[in-house]
Amino acid sequence: MIEIQDFLRTLATNSGFWNPLIWGIIIFIALLIAYIIRGRGKKEYKKQTEQTKVFLSGNPELEKEEMHVKASNVYWGFMESFKWLYNGLEKMHTGNVSDYILWFVIILGIFFIILGVI
Amino acid sequence: MNIIDDIILHSPALIVAIPLLGAFLTPLVSKINDKLRNIFVIFIVLFTSAIVLLLANDIYLVCGKIHTYVFGGNAPITEGGFAIRILFEVDGLNIFMALIATILAIAGVIYSWAFMKENTGLDKYYTLYLLMIAGMYGMILTGDMFNFFVFLEITSIASCALIAFWTNKGKAIDAGFKYIVVSATGALFVLFAIAILYGQYNALNMAVLASKIQFSFLDKIALVILISGLAMKAGIVPMHMWLPDAYGRAPASVTLILVGVTQASLYGALRMIFTLYGGKLTTTMNQIGDVSIDLNLVLGIFIVGLALLTIFIGVLMALKENNFKRMIAFAAVAEIGYMILAIGAALTTVFSTNDAGTGMMALKGGVFHILNDALDVGLLFLVAGAIYYATKETSLNQLGGLARNMKYTTIFFLIGLLAVSGMPPMNGFASKLIIYESTYQVNPILSIIAILCSILLLAVFVKVFHSAFLGPKLPKFDNVKEVPKSMLLAMGIIATIIIFIGLFPDMVVNYIVQPAVNALTNNSNYISNVIGGI
Amino acid sequence: MLELEQIIRTVMIIILSTVALAFFGIFFGLIYKGIDRKISAHMQGRIGPPLRQPFRDVGKLFTKENIIPENAVPWVFNLAPLIGLVGTISILLYLPIGGFQPLASVEGEIIFGDLILILYLLMIPSLALVIGGFASGSPYATVGAQREMATMIAYEFPLAIIIITVAWKLGSFAAGGLGVENAFTLTAITANPIWNAVGPLGLIGLILLLIVLIVVTPAELSKIPFDAPEAETEIGGGLLVEYSGRNLAMFYLTDAVKTVVMASIIVALFFPYNLSPLFGLESYPAYIIDFTFFLIKILIIIIFSVTLIRVAVARLKIDQIVYTYWVPLTLIALVGLICIMWDGTMMESYGWPKIAELLGFI
Repeated sequence: MIEIQDFLRTLATNSGFWNPLIWGIIIFIALLIAYIIRGRGKKEYKKQTEQTKVFLSGNPELEKEEMHVKASNVYWGFMESFKWLYNGLEKMHTGNVSDYILWFVIILGIFFIILGVI
Repeated sequence: MNIIDDIILHSPALIVAIPLLGAFLTPLVSKINDKLRNIFVIFIVLFTSAIVLLLANDIYLVCGKIHTYVFGGNAPITEGGFAIRILFEVDGLNIFMALIATILAIAGVIYSWAFMKENTGLDKYYTLYLLMIAGMYGMILTGDMFNFFVFLEITSIASCALIAFWTNKGKAIDAGFKYIVVSATGALFVLFAIAILYGQYNALNMAVLASKIQFSFLDKIALVILISGLAMKAGIVPMHMWLPDAYGRAPASVTLILVGVTQASLYGALRMIFTLYGGKLTTTMNQIGDVSIDLNLVLGIFIVGLALLTIFIGVLMALKENNFKRMIAFAAVAEIGYMILAIGAALTTVFSTNDAGTGMMALKGGVFHILNDALDVGLLFLVAGAIYYATKETSLNQLGGLARNMKYTTIFFLIGLLAVSGMPPMNGFASKLIIYESTYQVNPILSIIAILCSILLLAVFVKVFHSAFLGPKLPKFDNVKEVPKSMLLAMGIIATIIIFIGLFPDMVVNYIVQPAVNALTNNSNYISNVIGGI
Repeated sequence: MLELEQIIRTVMIIILSTVALAFFGIFFGLIYKGIDRKISAHMQGRIGPPLRQPFRDVGKLFTKENIIPENAVPWVFNLAPLIGLVGTISILLYLPIGGFQPLASVEGEIIFGDLILILYLLMIPSLALVIGGFASGSPYATVGAQREMATMIAYEFPLAIIIITVAWKLGSFAAGGLGVENAFTLTAITANPIWNAVGPLGLIGLILLLIVLIVVTPAELSKIPFDAPEAETEIGGGLLVEYSGRNLAMFYLTDAVKTVVMASIIVALFFPYNLSPLFGLESYPAYIIDFTFFLIKILIIIIFSVTLIRVAVARLKIDQIVYTYWVPLTLIALVGLICIMWDGTMMESYGWPKIAELLGFI
């Protein structure tokens, strides 16, 4: 039967360990400390004033739709450095079902050569 | 003998038969009342789940126990090893997969209640849904090759129809068509391989085949075809392209079961490699100088190569994708890569004498990750469905600021995000930790790529978190409300299990994963148990 | 094995050491920040602020208003800084601080975490910054946050190579390694200094890895030249643009603690040596001298990897950052890895000696 001690055991991988419960205790205590430290700060601010408007270096705020950075613009820097890789990947994903089967046949062939010929 | 014992005795048959019967009763029940039909379907799934749990309890009580069930009464006629009867067998691995299927099925039907409410043709939907669940259980529990093919086809056809369920959107039909072409091709190749084996050994039973297999040239061909066919069904790069189409277009509740079906195909491949060919895997294929190239090494390296490709391409495509569900589908491809990475690494080492510990550990990580992936990816798909339900949008470019309107969904998404990218303390971290810390012994590059892609996965879903949930309050989503309770309940069930596994990983590994790994590596036990049981 | 008494004892130790290490991390993090500012000021020919300036900065931030912008999602916006600080403090428990064993273990016998865990926990402060930035709902913050995420992806590649290579060299038998059990735990890594395991080729590999790790550090801490996420001159503070008052102070503290954490990781991986065995000291004098030596090691590392680099070079563009980490630095790290791989082969096949044996350390 499952005993209470089974719940407490550390996951061992022969190379390392991981015990979520201990981490949980650490996090709880650290959260307490951080919360106390944070609580020493000033809480209030002037709601519904200029203060809470978004900072745009003095430019007027656009419509809400325009203020949200769209998903396709995120990670521009990453996409920019790996344009060459993505161009290749896009060519690979044609969306044509006969290509899907072609890839299957290619893998079948490669696998067959590896296993049959060697 | 009481009724519980009877149910356990017949449970392998019941687990498949109840959803199957339920499927054909559903149209009749829905003539009466829609609500009654929903209750009926949930009852069927819960009843099946109860039987799975009973069977699981029975299997886990005795270490290494294999439950065999022969259809058609008495022992099959064995004449020269020709086992006629269809046979189901349940060992640690089968029951492990069945538990995954159970969780997904329960969450799926509960989720469907509200999610599909506004659609017409729900009697057909639920019929196909139960058929799909029955097929999935069948694939997992069967011990017979041809039977495996039959269930593969049942799930394929049912899921094809369900992927194309939203026929008013043309793209759904396109996705359904692609799915049926791909899965029919895969299944036919599997059938071809089964025919090769049947022609040689006069048997369809996995255990009988495993005991007889010679590893002739024809067997090699059969192995190649079986693995490639099932790999395509499991969505391994570069045969993964049907997967984003199908996952992306199907209703979220269907996608959840599709994840299970994909895992069942992966299970099939595992079964073929480790049980069917398990005894012959260390056959020396070639001798170059002093170095002998063993089959397990060649197979392992090939699978590891595919796995690295799968992880990398899956995650890179996910990073670029802007359709929420297609993005999760690519992430699911990458997650499958982690499993086969562990399995490939295990294949290279688990049979050697001095390094078997590494292989066992890698296999443990891989099998554990099957469970975690099903839950994490499943939860994310349900969240994507919830967002679609609330806003009728799947493109991330159109979404924003939903964390204000949909608090619970946001929390479930955060749990899914942390779990799928393997952040502590979620379940994904435990299995990925095992994978990293065992595969590095085979080659450090493997764990390096695995760690890197895990962080890329984090980036993928942080992007979703930003573009769907954060940002300014958009006027067009002012009226968006939190999704109905049944959808929240389904997400909550999966999220609870994710956190439970995350907090007590060692217990799950010991009680559920370890028996599955033992069942995989010990194929002589399988053969003797099943053949002895006939 | 798991007696109730032992469980309670362990939990008490964990609780007390969390409290102690939290204050240790915050206090010394702020002091090192002061030293860093002083030195960089002198390098630029300025006098610079006094050492206690960071404490005053935090104190001042606490008296400022804590503005929550109208476009922000309040609960995420407020939670992110807290999670960042908490995650960073939790890393300290898994590190060998001041020559002691990692505190999250039972007398160094039962260990509760390892290097991979630390690698993941290191992501939490960055992730908190990213999510906080995204939650601000400001375009500047969003741009900064996505840059931070791209930077994170970029530097994790070389970082993963370093961590796996070190553990692999110690743990595997194949590469002429030591076959150390539990090679991912810091207890094992500090007990078997990596320099003892390598031959001439491996020494070159290790030096390459150390250089890469020193270059990874400023990006991990968002310092120039890798501070594109904050970039005051272009995007007005980037992901921190909408933060003020105590929330900003939390991020300030996180940064301070993280500096100590990163330096401690470098110390644990590459310089786990202590002075006390050299002088034959024991008990309290040993603790004091080891702890002081540890603080000095951290100071040297911070000066090299933060102060020097940040004063000497200008900021890179975000795509340049990604390129720098994924191509040149990853290649250098891979060369290091290959050197260490061949090192084992050389030792096995041609009988090359280990450096430590040549010098007579072992």
